[in-house]
Amino acid sequence: METHFGAPSAHDGRCTPEKSRALGVGRRTGSSSPSGHIVLVAEHVSKSFAGVTALHDVDFDLSHGEVHALMGENGAGKSTLMKILAGVHTRYEGAIKVEGRAVSFGGVRDAEEAGVAIIHQELNLVPELSVADNIFLGREPLVAGVLVNRRRMVRAAERLLQRLGVKIDPETRVAELRVGEQQLVEIAKALSLDTRILIMDEPTSALSSSECKTLFKIVRQLAGDGVAIVYTSHRIEEVLELADRVTVLRDGRRVVTAPIGELSRGAIISAMVGREMAAYHRGTVAQNGAIILSVRNLTLDTLSPRGWRRTLHGVSFQLRRGEILGIGGLLGSGRTEILESIFGVVRGWRGGDTIIDGATVDIKSPADAYRLGVALVTEDRKERGLHLAASICDNVALPSIGAMSQFGLRTFARESALAADVVSRLSVRCTGIRQAAAALSGGNQQKIVIGKWLATEPRILLLDEPTRGIDVGAKQEIYRLIFDLAAQGLGILVVTSEMPELLLLSDRILVMCEGRQTGVLRREDAAQETVMRLAAPGMAAQSWNAPS
Amino acid sequence: MKALRALSRTKLYWGLLIICLVGALTSPHSSSGSNIFLSYGNLTDVLRQVSITGLVATGMTMVILLGGIDLSVGSVMGFSTIICAMLLTKSGWTAASVIGVPAATAVSCAAVAFLARFVFSGLARGRDVSAGRRRESALGPWRSVRIPTLLGLLAAIVVAWFTASQVQTKFGVLGVLLVTPCVALLLGSINGFLIVAGRLQPFIATLAMMVSALGIGRLTAGQDNAVVAVYTGTNATEAFEALRSMLWGVVPVPSVFFLAAIVLFGAILRFTTFGRYAYAIGGNIEAAKLSGIKVAQVQFTAYLLSGLLAGIAGVLFVAQYRQGKPDAGGGLELDAIAAVVIGGTSLMGGRGGLAGTFVGVLIFGLLSDILQLQNIDSNVQLLMKGLIIVCTVLVQEQNLGQLIARWRLRPSLQGGADHETAESHRPPSAARAQFATEDLDEAS
Repeated sequence: METHFGAPSAHDGRCTPEKSRALGVGRRTGSSSPSGHIVLVAEHVSKSFAGVTALHDVDFDLSHGEVHALMGENGAGKSTLMKILAGVHTRYEGAIKVEGRAVSFGGVRDAEEAGVAIIHQELNLVPELSVADNIFLGREPLVAGVLVNRRRMVRAAERLLQRLGVKIDPETRVAELRVGEQQLVEIAKALSLDTRILIMDEPTSALSSSECKTLFKIVRQLAGDGVAIVYTSHRIEEVLELADRVTVLRDGRRVVTAPIGELSRGAIISAMVGREMAAYHRGTVAQNGAIILSVRNLTLDTLSPRGWRRTLHGVSFQLRRGEILGIGGLLGSGRTEILESIFGVVRGWRGGDTIIDGATVDIKSPADAYRLGVALVTEDRKERGLHLAASICDNVALPSIGAMSQFGLRTFARESALAADVVSRLSVRCTGIRQAAAALSGGNQQKIVIGKWLATEPRILLLDEPTRGIDVGAKQEIYRLIFDLAAQGLGILVVTSEMPELLLLSDRILVMCEGRQTGVLRREDAAQETVMRLAAPGMAAQSWNAPS
Repeated sequence: MKALRALSRTKLYWGLLIICLVGALTSPHSSSGSNIFLSYGNLTDVLRQVSITGLVATGMTMVILLGGIDLSVGSVMGFSTIICAMLLTKSGWTAASVIGVPAATAVSCAAVAFLARFVFSGLARGRDVSAGRRRESALGPWRSVRIPTLLGLLAAIVVAWFTASQVQTKFGVLGVLLVTPCVALLLGSINGFLIVAGRLQPFIATLAMMVSALGIGRLTAGQDNAVVAVYTGTNATEAFEALRSMLWGVVPVPSVFFLAAIVLFGAILRFTTFGRYAYAIGGNIEAAKLSGIKVAQVQFTAYLLSGLLAGIAGVLFVAQYRQGKPDAGGGLELDAIAAVVIGGTSLMGGRGGLAGTFVGVLIFGLLSDILQLQNIDSNVQLLMKGLIIVCTVLVQEQNLGQLIARWRLRPSLQGGADHETAESHRPPSAARAQFATEDLDEAS
C-alpha cells in the first residue's frame, strides 16, 4: 500500500530526476473505502497544560483514505490532539502508532518524515517569498550542494499545483494570493512532503463559499488518492458533507466516534455541548435596572491585507445596571470586536452610537473609556493584561496611579492600600503585593487583571474570556465575583467560548455569527442547542430576538 | 541562598568595587609614594570625563526603558556644540542665533504653558483626592487654556527679549545654557513626533535624525568639518570657563550636571507617574495602552528629554574641549547605549534604571583611567571595552540562568545531539511551531 507522490523527499533535501518524474503521476487510482486499513492509532492520549487537563485518555484512529472530522467546542481539546499527532506537542501520555509502528515524534520534522503533516489555522507561509519558494522552504533542490535549482523547484511546484487542479503561478509572491489560494499552497507543501496523513485545522474558517467548494473537491480527491485526513471545522454542514467518520471531543474526553451516516446534526451538537454545567447558580436577578449602556447599530470595518473588511454588521443591544449580558458565538464571529469597539481600542472605522447613561459618547481610546467608567478585561492576560515582570502592586495600581497622583507624584501608600484591598477582596493567593505577577497561577493572574480594573471603580465591565486557561476551582471563584459585581450594580458584558459558562453567567445572551447579531435570548429561552444553532454559520435560517 | 540572591542583586556594585580594587592595586605610585589611582585629583578627573557620556546615557536610559532607542544623541550633541560655540564666539545674526533665538522662544513658551497647566491641575487634584472613583477633574477654560497660554506668551516675550539682546554682543553663559538645550530639545521632539505620530520604528527615526543632525551641524558651521574654537577671555566670555572648573574646589562642574541629572531623573522614574508609565510601557506596551495610559505622550516626552540632555552635554563639551564641531559626538550614542546596557537596563524595555546606568558609566570611566595609568595602547582599551560589555551582559542574571538551564535541559531532549542538528535545518515554519509548543500555550 506504499503510495509515492511526494516531490523531493524530506530525507536528503534534493530533487532527484526519478523523484521529480514521480511528481503528479503517483496518483492512486480506484477509490478506497473508509474501512481501509488503519494508518494511525492514538491510544490513551492525555495532555495537560500547567495543571489544566486538555486531553484525557483519548483514543483516536484513522483509516487509509478517509476524512475523519474532529469536532468539539473551543477548548474541547481538538487542537491539542491534532498538535500531538503532528508532533507539535512532544510531551504527552499515551501511545501513537503510524502504520502499526509506535512513534514518538521529537518535533514537527519527525512527524513529517513519518508522513504526517499539519496545516495550521493560521497559515505558516512567508508572504514575501514565491509560491515555489514556500513549498520547498528548507528543502530546496540544490545544484552542487549550495545553489538553489530554481527551475527544477518551480517545475516541481507547478506539478504539485496541477495535481491539485489549481491554477496558481508558482512564481507569484504568496502575499498576492487570496487566503483560499494560500491554503492550497499549504496543501501543496504538505503533499511535497510525501504526506500520507494530513491534518487540517479549521481550513475553511477564512474562506469564501466558492473557495470552500474548491477545497472540498481537493480534499475528496486526496482521500481518493489514499491520504488519510483529519479535518476540524465548526461548520456542521461542512462536516456532514465531507467527512466519512466523526469524532466528538468534549472537555478533553472523547464522547463518540461514529460513521457520519449514523449521526444526525442534532446528535453531533448535543454530543458537543451536552455536559452538565457547574453546580453554581445565581440568585434572583433584578431585571429592571436603569439602562447604563446602549449600543446602536455598531459597525466596524478593519483593514486586512486584502483591503477593508466589515467585521461587525450593525450590532445593537442595551445593558442595564446589575445585568450580565453574555455574548456567544464562535471564534472570529466578532465577539471580541464588540468589546474592543466599546473600549476604543480597535484600529479601524467604527460606526453607530454608544450611549452611556443616556449621553452619546465617543470613546476613542482606553483613556476615554476609563474616564467614563468602562473597563475591559482582555482575553489574553499575559500578552495584553499584565506586565508580568512587575509586582502585583504595580499591576493593580497602573490604571489608577494617574488619578491618585498629585503634581505627577505617585502616592505609594495609596497604591499599596489599593493593591492590598484588591488582593483581599478577590482572595488572591500570593506571598504579598510585592510578588511578581509572573509568579502567580493563571487564576490568580486573572484576578489581578480584573482587580486592576475594579480598583478604578468602573460602572461597566467588559470581560473577554474571563476564565480561559484557569482551573475549575478558580473558575468558580471568578463566577462568584462576577455575580457579586452585578449585584453591586455594575453592568457586565461577558464574552466566552464555553457554552455552559455562557448559560450560567448570562441574564441575556447575544449570539454572534460571522459579524452579525443572530439573536438575543433570555436566559429562560436559552438552551445550548439554540445558542449553537444561532452561532453556527449557515444554520441561522431565522433569528430570534427577545425583547430586552 | 539568601546571601547568594543578595549578592546577585548587587553584582553590578561588586563589579564596580572589583574594578576599583584592580585600579588601586595596579596603580603606579607618585614620587611621594602615594597611590595615583586613589588620589582625589584622579578620581574627580574620571568623574569629569564620564560626565558628557553620562548625561547622554541618562536620557538614553529613559528611552530604552520604554523599549525604544535613540541613535541621534551623538549628532544632536555635535550640533549643540556648534550652536553653543558659535553663540559664544560670533556676534550678530549668525546661523546659530537665527536657529537658537526662535527655538528658545518657542520652547520656553510651550514649557511655561505646560508647567502652568500642570500646576493648576495638580492644585485642583489636591482637593478631590478622597476615596471613590477618581476621574480627571475638568479645569475651566481659564485654568486649562487661557492662563497657561498667557503665561507661555509672557515667557516667550521675556526669553525672546533676553536672547535677542545678547545677539548683538556675544552670548553669555546663561544665554547658551538656555538656548542650546532648547535647540536640542526641538530635535528630540522631532524624533518623538516621527515615532509617535508617524509610527516609525525608533531605530529608523533616530537613525535619520543622526544623519541629518550631522548635516545641519555642518551647514550651520558653514564649512565641512568646521571646528569652531572657543578661547575664553579672547573670543568668548571669560565666565564660560566656569563650566569646566571645580565647584568650590570640590567637584568638577560637568559632574555636577551629570550627578544632578542622575538624581533628578532617577527621582522622576521612581516617584512620578511618568516614571511608572515608562516602565509599564516598556514591560508590556499593549497592557499599558489598555490600562488607559497615554502611551504616545510618554514616548514623546522621553525622546524630548533625551534631546534636552544631549544639548546640555553639548554645552559641557564646548567648555571642556574649548571647541564646537559637528562630529563631536561621533560614537557617543553607542557609548551611551553600552553604559545603559551594562547597567542592567534591558534593551527590550521595562527593566533597569538609572542607578545601573550610573554604575555602568563609572565602570567605563574607571576602566579607561586604569588602562591610561598603565600606558596601555588606546586600541587595547577599545578591545577591553568590548569584552566588558559582553561579560557584564552575560553575567546579568537571566542570561546566565537561561544558558545554564539550556545546558541542563539538553540531555533530557529526545535524540540528544542528533536532535540539535535536525533542528538547525528545519523549515522556519516548523521551528516556529516548535517554539510555541510546550506548556506555556493554552489548551485550545
